[in-house]
Amino acid sequence: MSITSDILRGHTEAIILSSLLEQDSYGYQINKDIMKKTNNTYELKEATLYSAFRRLEQAGRIRTYWGDETVGARRRYYAITDEGRKAYQGYKQEWKEAKEIIDQLLK
Amino acid sequence: MKEKIRQHFNLIFTDAPKTRKAIELKEEMMQSAMDKFDDMVADGYSAEDAYENVIHSIGDVTELFPTVEEKNLLVLSEKDRKKKALLTSIATGIYIFAAAVFFFFGADGNEAEWQFGFGLAILLCIVPTVMLVYAANMYPDYNRKEEPDMVELYKAAKYSSNKAHAVRKSINSIIWSVTLVLYFIISFVSYRWQVTWIIFLIAFCLQAIVKLVFELRADEMTFIDNVKK
Repeated sequence: MSITSDILRGHTEAIILSSLLEQDSYGYQINKDIMKKTNNTYELKEATLYSAFRRLEQAGRIRTYWGDETVGARRRYYAITDEGRKAYQGYKQEWKEAKEIIDQLLK
Repeated sequence: MKEKIRQHFNLIFTDAPKTRKAIELKEEMMQSAMDKFDDMVADGYSAEDAYENVIHSIGDVTELFPTVEEKNLLVLSEKDRKKKALLTSIATGIYIFAAAVFFFFGADGNEAEWQFGFGLAILLCIVPTVMLVYAANMYPDYNRKEEPDMVELYKAAKYSSNKAHAVRKSINSIIWSVTLVLYFIISFVSYRWQVTWIIFLIAFCLQAIVKLVFELRADEMTFIDNVKK
């Protein structure tokens, strides 16, 4: 397993929260956003994405509701909670620190 | 091709728990896969390529329902299985021995000896009964992970109800085997067949009591869970 995908996987929850900060969304849409932002280089596996959803929901960092699509299948939407915003700030701070340390060590 | 995707999901979710949440999750992931398939086909990919890509990007669903022992919740290790078999056979042996003791003392119809034999047989029955209860409780408690998620909680609940079920089943089998043995012993010794069948009614009552106790305990447990929430 390459370092890059390991690190990315370790931040799945932060990546999802970041995506939900912009707007409420559903699973496939979030994955599309991630692909777009990374120029089609990175995509979450569905299993990874949905198990992260369960963990975040369990921790009260996101909540879910059913969309009111009039055409096609009903979708389950995910929205970030205040708890989630706080957690996201924490993640971001931690990442910043980790990045600085690694940058210093790998000069 | 969509039917193929659906079949694939049915296959990989075969071992998933049959809860509403798990089924919803499957539907949700399947919808997501269908959306992706549609988008890729709209972008000009062939249906085969889109299918391959969609299936590949599902990943490992055991992440969602972790641990392998889910299917084997009530399978004991080989060592424990042997131990359990040994306990059960020794217990059966002691039951038969108790019956023999009773016949030995009760056979000549002497009232005092009959009572002595009966008392001794009952005392002898305590040991194998304890052994059987112990054997029924050999299944270890379900080890929860530090942060239980929905799946963990579900499995723990399922596991404990399976365990309670196993214990209840063995208590029932003890009740009925003891009843049968007692019925024949008492009937042969006393020759009062017209009365002794009542012992089956008593056993039936006992079984009902056991059932009640287990149900009350289950209620209590769900009650505690609700309070915790």
